[in-house]
Amino acid sequence: MRLLDGKNVFITGASKGIGWALAQAFAENGANIFAHSRSEDSQWQEALECLAKKNGVTIWPCYFDMTDYAAMKKALNSIKANNSSVDILINNAGVMTNALFQMTTDEMLRQQFEVNFFSIFMLTQYISRLMTKKNSGSIINISSVVAIEGSAGQSAYSAAKAAVIAFSKSIAAELGEKNIRVNCIAPGIIDTTLLHSLPVQRLEKTKNKTLLKRYGLPAEVASTAVFLASELAAYITGQVIRVDGGLK
Amino acid sequence: MESIALYNKAFLDIFMLAEKDLVTLKYHDVPEWDSVGHMMLITAIEEAFDIMFDTEDIIGFSSWAKGKLILAKYDVVL
Repeated sequence: MRLLDGKNVFITGASKGIGWALAQAFAENGANIFAHSRSEDSQWQEALECLAKKNGVTIWPCYFDMTDYAAMKKALNSIKANNSSVDILINNAGVMTNALFQMTTDEMLRQQFEVNFFSIFMLTQYISRLMTKKNSGSIINISSVVAIEGSAGQSAYSAAKAAVIAFSKSIAAELGEKNIRVNCIAPGIIDTTLLHSLPVQRLEKTKNKTLLKRYGLPAEVASTAVFLASELAAYITGQVIRVDGGLK
Repeated sequence: MESIALYNKAFLDIFMLAEKDLVTLKYHDVPEWDSVGHMMLITAIEEAFDIMFDTEDIIGFSSWAKGKLILAKYDVVL
């Protein structure tokens, strides 16, 4: 059963890791995709074409830097100009900086908030207005388990991801009466290239803190997003769903 | 429909006013033009003219007259 036939989803940071798994899972469930990446990539574009053909959906690649709001708006205007709509928004794009709190510069802190929070705020502002016109929508923000639990060496990253959670809960309250649901996913240790930027010893230690004693897969985050976007989750909003293998 | 008629229609439909009341109308002049009504108005105008306002312009849209000036920035001639 395809859960999202005919729906249009906008996925940021869809070229790799969790973002690519999201693109795959949403295509497999029948959704057409606006697949965002920061810069043009012919290999990725070919992969998107294969994915679209395999699943009988349409995928439109779109490129802009998440911190370039003029470019962001231009991309959204072209969606609007084509009379397309966005039923589902997944704010996935993000960057991770690892540094001890006392070694985190002002610039590093600002970059974390710029990419991981401010850009989400602005993109959601634009896309929720498209959703408002249809009186329906689902917004899924990818946060992190470190936003809830904290993490040594990730004060800036975890603070920005915590902002995403607070933001999601607030806009869930504002947009609920427009039948727009807003939820967060807080992934734990997911096996992506981002993960491998962390020290190995620390990774092993954290892996052993999960009840399942393993890393999560990008596809396991993606399947949660498919559920949240679908009618199966029609009465779920303002929630944070941990996908962390029972991290303690 | 002429542009000015489209513009007025957004106000008339959302705030249930008479056309004669529009020229001097400002934000909060009527209970319906609160923050929720404002976003409904913005959405209706965006839809009518197929544009997307910048956030600064949504905030600056403080009256019927100011709205006309803002729309000019988006090449909408009223």
